[in-house]
Amino acid sequence: MSLKRWMTGFMEKNGLLVGLYILGAVTLWIVLMIVLPQLFMLDFSFRYNLPPAEIGGPKDVYTLSNYKYLIYGSAGSAADYNWIDLSVFLQTIIAAVFVTLIDLALCYPIAYYLAHTAKGATGRLLILSLIIPYWVNEILRAFAFRIIFGASGVINNFLVYLGLIDQPIDFIREDVALYTGLSYAYILLMIFPIYNAVESLDRNQVEAARDMGSGWLRIHWRIVIPFAKPGIASGCTMVFMLTAGALAAPQILGGPSSLWFTQLIVQWFNTGGNWPRGSAYAIALLIACVAFVLFMMRVFKIRVGEIGR
Amino acid sequence: MKSHHMMKLMIGFYIVLFFGYLFGPLIIMSITAFNSSDFPRVSPWDCFTLEWFPELRQDRFLVEGFQNSLVIGAGVIALAVPIGLAGALLLTQLGRRARSGFYTLMISPILVPGVVLGISTIIFWRRMGEMIGVPGEDNFLYEGIFMTILGQSTFISAFTMLVFVARLQRFDPAQEEAALDLGATKPQAFRKVLLPFLKPAIGSAAVLAFLASFENYNTTVFTILQDKTLTTVLASKVRYGIDPSISALAVLIVSLTLVAAFVYEVLRRREQKEAREIEARARAAERLEMQEVAQGEGGEDGPARSAAEIRAELPAASGKGFTLQAHHLAIVLALIAVAGIAKLMLTDDVYAATACKEEIRQEKLERQQELLEKQRQLMQERQQQEQGEKAPRSGDYQSIFDPGNLQGDGEEGSDAEQAPEAPATSDGQSSNDGKDYQSIFDPGNLQSEEGN
Repeated sequence: MSLKRWMTGFMEKNGLLVGLYILGAVTLWIVLMIVLPQLFMLDFSFRYNLPPAEIGGPKDVYTLSNYKYLIYGSAGSAADYNWIDLSVFLQTIIAAVFVTLIDLALCYPIAYYLAHTAKGATGRLLILSLIIPYWVNEILRAFAFRIIFGASGVINNFLVYLGLIDQPIDFIREDVALYTGLSYAYILLMIFPIYNAVESLDRNQVEAARDMGSGWLRIHWRIVIPFAKPGIASGCTMVFMLTAGALAAPQILGGPSSLWFTQLIVQWFNTGGNWPRGSAYAIALLIACVAFVLFMMRVFKIRVGEIGR
Repeated sequence: MKSHHMMKLMIGFYIVLFFGYLFGPLIIMSITAFNSSDFPRVSPWDCFTLEWFPELRQDRFLVEGFQNSLVIGAGVIALAVPIGLAGALLLTQLGRRARSGFYTLMISPILVPGVVLGISTIIFWRRMGEMIGVPGEDNFLYEGIFMTILGQSTFISAFTMLVFVARLQRFDPAQEEAALDLGATKPQAFRKVLLPFLKPAIGSAAVLAFLASFENYNTTVFTILQDKTLTTVLASKVRYGIDPSISALAVLIVSLTLVAAFVYEVLRRREQKEAREIEARARAAERLEMQEVAQGEGGEDGPARSAAEIRAELPAASGKGFTLQAHHLAIVLALIAVAGIAKLMLTDDVYAATACKEEIRQEKLERQQELLEKQRQLMQERQQQEQGEKAPRSGDYQSIFDPGNLQGDGEEGSDAEQAPEAPATSDGQSSNDGKDYQSIFDPGNLQSEEGN
């Protein structure tokens, strides 16, 4: 009933045409683009990989086999668990945490500086120049790191020239290139939430603490960081989610022995030809990421509503 | 005081380092586009060349991908901008609890991994096709470009929505109410009041949507199916073999980005300035009104003069001439940059440093010859020594330079040494060794460079 009343009020306020446009566009977005595709994927992940002719037939029943495969491996294998895929999964999560922490450490000083010290034209120029690298294609950014870290790349040539090493170091095999490239990829999404949070901090609080004799470490630990906590959480969430779900950087910068979990998903879809299993892997990634973020927010006592602004 | 200076110095140093991290890779990549070496690198520097730019046009996949990317970008703008606007408008009219729920739902596609969005999109539309009875090949819903537009718009609409939400926060509903009071219909008020107010936001949302669509990879790699976009072509190029034409493409993209950022900033400044002017004018008008009211109540002589002064302020507040100039300048600069790039792309006869490359080749050949010569001398000296000494170890010496001799037994080796054709064999060996030496100075494969 109240929905109907709300609808009448809404149409009254916007006029029929605009009202229909708003509701239509939002419905299209939320129902056809966000919710239903995710539900279909969830449904699909519980099915067998059947040839098109048998879909909808008697064999098309629900199963947990795709999830079982991720955990236990194929039924015939000797090992108890599917260690290969599980270790890729864990490595991806751990590496994403690692990259998030690197980005936080790199960005906090810059965000604080931009918000409180740099003002006017300089500040705006610095912010603009932060955005520019982010506008450049993701693939090209990874490519740039490949040029730098390659066997005859800038860093190796420089080190050889200095005489520090005599053989080029294989940065790509050692995953140095991958971590550097991943930290680079989403760094902007860490800076801006922290910047926005710190900017709204009243400078007088910092001054007062300084007048009362606090050192800068204490000022940050007791005043700035607690105040900027929602921004920090928001930045960390975004960087973590995007890093765990990254595909381009691991494909281009990953060493021959290291796999990212998204690469496994792509394999099931392309060469593996098993879409339901790929969907199950994708759902596992999504759930693990969301669960991890919610868990961390519990630990640090941050509410979901504070994220995203 | 001293520690304060130290601190400042350290902060400055850190900022330089940080921006070096941000821009260093892009700068180095851009520099490699102008090196004639077959592998993208800065050192050793061969020759300055522009030859990699026209080469991009030869790549059929790249051109096709670029065209598809433009189509998809246009489609995403057409879909994501209206959706984002509708989402933002809906949020402003909801109660607090409903708003936070909808907000979370609408923002969620930004956080969902792009891979997941791509997968869910293709599964959904394939299924939809089956449901309406057009399975398999005939399924017009299961089509690369169509699904890429939808898949990308899922999260890009969230970006555009955030742009509109930020702008709508500054909207004064009284404007719309005034229009309605003056007899405007609701669609009229929407079209004549709200849309003009949102115009700058529509522009920046469209730019944002296009850029996000243009550079997207994670979602597109699934939804595009057998088709190609610029980004997927780039990705396969980068993964299966690197050459400097990719760097050349990077230079184009980076410079276009710089131009776009510059124009965007100029436009934004203009908008901010206008906003400030409108505010200043409003304030002045308010003061004027108050003065006039005071005058009407029979005030003194003084206020009359100041009212005139304020009135004089009004036209002066709008410095339209200057902002228009800056705006035009930005556009002219952008056009020059685009024209320069177009010229670089479209002329076949660019500066390809043929003479310089020949020189470098000669130099390398000479250096090789020199090393060969040195090697030969060394060999001869050694052989003379060996012949003089007639030491039993001589077989070992030989084996250092020719692993093939290891198979033969020691006697055969010493036979070969004493044979008259010894210099000839040492020649053959030394040319091999010369190449090994060469590779110490030049990591690239000399042979392949000569071949090209």
